[in-house]
Amino acid sequence: MSSRPAKAAIEVRALQKKYVTWRGRIRRTRHENVALARIDLTIHAGELFGLLGPNGAGKTTATKILTTLLLPDAGEAWVLGLDVVKQTDAVRRRIGFVFGGERGLYWRLSGLDNLRYFADLYRIPPDVSRRRINQLLGQLGLAGREHDKVEVYSRGMKQRLHLARGLLNDPEVLFLDEPTIGLDPVGARELRVLIRNLADAGKTIFLTTHYMFEADAICDRIAVIKKGAVVAEGTPASIKRMVENQGVVEFEVVGISADRVSMLRTMPDVRSVTVTERDLAQLVTIQCSNPADLMTRLGGALDGITFQRISSREPTLEDAYVQLISETS
Amino acid sequence: MSAVPAEIAIFARSTYLQYAALFQWATVRGYVGYKIVLPVTQILFFVELGVYAAGQQSALYFALGNAMQITANAGIFGVIATVANERQYGTLPMLLASPANRLVTFMSRAVVNVIDGAASVAVGLAVTVVLFRLDLHTANLPLLAVCVLTISLTTAGLGLLFGSIGLVMRDAIVIANVVYYLLLVLCGINFPVSRLPGGLQVISYCLPLTRGVEAARLAVAGGPTNKIGALLAGELAVGLAYALCGYALFRILETYSRRGGLQEAY
Amino acid sequence: MTSLVRAAFQAFWISMRLRFVSSFAILGWLLFPTIFGAVGLYVLLRPGAPHSQLAYAVLGGGLLGYWGVAYLDGGLSIQNERWSGTLEHIFAVPTPLWVILLGKVCGSVVWGMLSFLPTLALAYFGFHAVLPTIDAGPFVISFVVLTFSFLVVAFAFAPLFALWRWALPVLNGFELGFYTFCGFMFPIAILPGWAQPLSAVLAPSWATRAIYASTTTSGPHDYAVWWVVSVGLSLAYLAGAVLLYRLVDDRARRSGELALA
Repeated sequence: MSSRPAKAAIEVRALQKKYVTWRGRIRRTRHENVALARIDLTIHAGELFGLLGPNGAGKTTATKILTTLLLPDAGEAWVLGLDVVKQTDAVRRRIGFVFGGERGLYWRLSGLDNLRYFADLYRIPPDVSRRRINQLLGQLGLAGREHDKVEVYSRGMKQRLHLARGLLNDPEVLFLDEPTIGLDPVGARELRVLIRNLADAGKTIFLTTHYMFEADAICDRIAVIKKGAVVAEGTPASIKRMVENQGVVEFEVVGISADRVSMLRTMPDVRSVTVTERDLAQLVTIQCSNPADLMTRLGGALDGITFQRISSREPTLEDAYVQLISETS
Repeated sequence: MSAVPAEIAIFARSTYLQYAALFQWATVRGYVGYKIVLPVTQILFFVELGVYAAGQQSALYFALGNAMQITANAGIFGVIATVANERQYGTLPMLLASPANRLVTFMSRAVVNVIDGAASVAVGLAVTVVLFRLDLHTANLPLLAVCVLTISLTTAGLGLLFGSIGLVMRDAIVIANVVYYLLLVLCGINFPVSRLPGGLQVISYCLPLTRGVEAARLAVAGGPTNKIGALLAGELAVGLAYALCGYALFRILETYSRRGGLQEAY
Repeated sequence: MTSLVRAAFQAFWISMRLRFVSSFAILGWLLFPTIFGAVGLYVLLRPGAPHSQLAYAVLGGGLLGYWGVAYLDGGLSIQNERWSGTLEHIFAVPTPLWVILLGKVCGSVVWGMLSFLPTLALAYFGFHAVLPTIDAGPFVISFVVLTFSFLVVAFAFAPLFALWRWALPVLNGFELGFYTFCGFMFPIAILPGWAQPLSAVLAPSWATRAIYASTTTSGPHDYAVWWVVSVGLSLAYLAGAVLLYRLVDDRARRSGELALA
């Protein structure tokens, strides 16, 4: 039985996974979808690590392999030095995970019953689980609502109940799969603070998200995954430095034609142009390598068009992400 | 290009897609299990029960009765389960908010189940005839086929009535099961209606299937066509009454459910 | 060990509580056995029927219902876990799957016993049918042996619901087949020759034979043989179930279908 010293909380080597689907009803054809091409990751103890990527990139697949729900086709993964394939039981005792969403809870039972049930399934002694459940209910703002059936909980409350369940066994490593999705801004911010506090308390947290500002705000390190492959890895600052000489020029206009937008795309140093409709105006966002220079040339390029405002800014993590994703496509 | 062929194409495509999307047995394995094995085993069970109770000569009586009841499976479950499964998958609000014609939408699901039900019955009956060496030499098979089709349609009307309740109630599939299995007792499937208490006999003749089963038994026995026709006419009248009431109730409850926001409760 | 027992009990208790609040659960213990019991009573107690059919009329509905709930309810609860998105969660806990399913299946078996309430009440109040004679000792032991066989079969089939999304329609299709081949409402002896070997390999059929034998003074009363064969077959199923559970754990995690409804 393989075992590695727990220098890293999570270690992934050459992990691969593909899904087989069948199409057709009578004459069925087999199709393979590569979810993880071959990824390597190392997450240190106490780190808040973010895995970013578009939908279908492989984030959830990677999370499920690490939480022992999926078996990889090739490669190895260890959590706290334990092999996720061969030492499943030991891994499960020391991790928690939150997939969130509307599903995954017993709607016809109360929040408290859900927690008690899973406390027993996690084999937590009753006196410990009683104390911990009360603590978690208070910490997560569910105290006073624990006897209500989950079906009457708001989305935010369900998410917090998911988190409470994920923390029942006081895990050393916590996996969070898009934990703030569907939450209102206040609820999402509160949850992010909570997640950061858990990391500061020493837990290792593996978070997947496609909210860039979220990763930027709370993660110690991030990796960007696309089509099952890691395309960048580092701190948010180092990822942003990948687009160091890049910048963003934004301006609002009324009625810019498709021809003009196409023309903008052909300008030197322009990497991408996106147009967002905003009431009667359009917000044009240009990612370019020399924003100051571009701003001087824009006036001539957009002759006859009235600008409502124009600005340039430093690239955000989102800009870096967009560039990384589009570069590797 | 005429609009009529396009509408027919849309109807046909939507019928197939709705059937495949909503029903778990829309795979070969699931279809065999639920639409062939289950009906065949039901017929086999009741035929054996009947043979034990009344001798080998009663095998055809039980086989035919249960085969006809299985026809109702499609008509009832097809419509009632439609609403229940739409609710379960969360697609009921989308459907009700769409401009789709309601009658066409729901009956399009029933249509596939009518065909599907006839296929199940044909297989079930064929297996039973072979296993028990039943004698069908006096049977008027085309008339029997008409009986099967009639029962599928009339029970779809019953399904529409109870399926409407699924708009405002969770677990409409429970209603589908109650209705379907009550027919087993009330409609002369395994014993004559005359053995039921008086009050229940009245209910029997207010339900679809009762006259249809009688007609089917006459068709197999080579009975008079006019009598079979009269029974089927009565069967259709009952079925139509349920269908009309069901559609009216459906439109009323659709409005009621929108007031209460009940389509999404699951 | 205590924690495993506690986990199994919680699985049992939660499954019971979910049944109490589920309208669908009424179908299993109330509707189906009552309907089938009523049909059985009408068919078997028709005027001029022989006395030997009385026991099948009185007990048949309850046995059908008991079997139906025990056999499918455990699997249905897995299916419900899948639909509510909790199946992945119970796979990922440190408690082995078999412990959780054992708790659920015990709940199914207990729930299934409720089927005798409406069916016996219908037989007595609706048809004035009572069993004239019953040999209590063999009856009780046979019932225990039957319960054990139901428990094992349900336990053996339950993981299939976790593995295959199409398990419910397929296994549902076989439910009435068990009614026939286990002799719940008529003696297996009347089945055609090709069906006899099928009955012989089904553990519940031997226990059912013993139950009905204890309600009559005529016919064979080879209780010991029947009990031993039933228990032996059940243990053989259990051995198969051990392999199945290992297979299910591996295949379910490989396919990634746990999350799919």
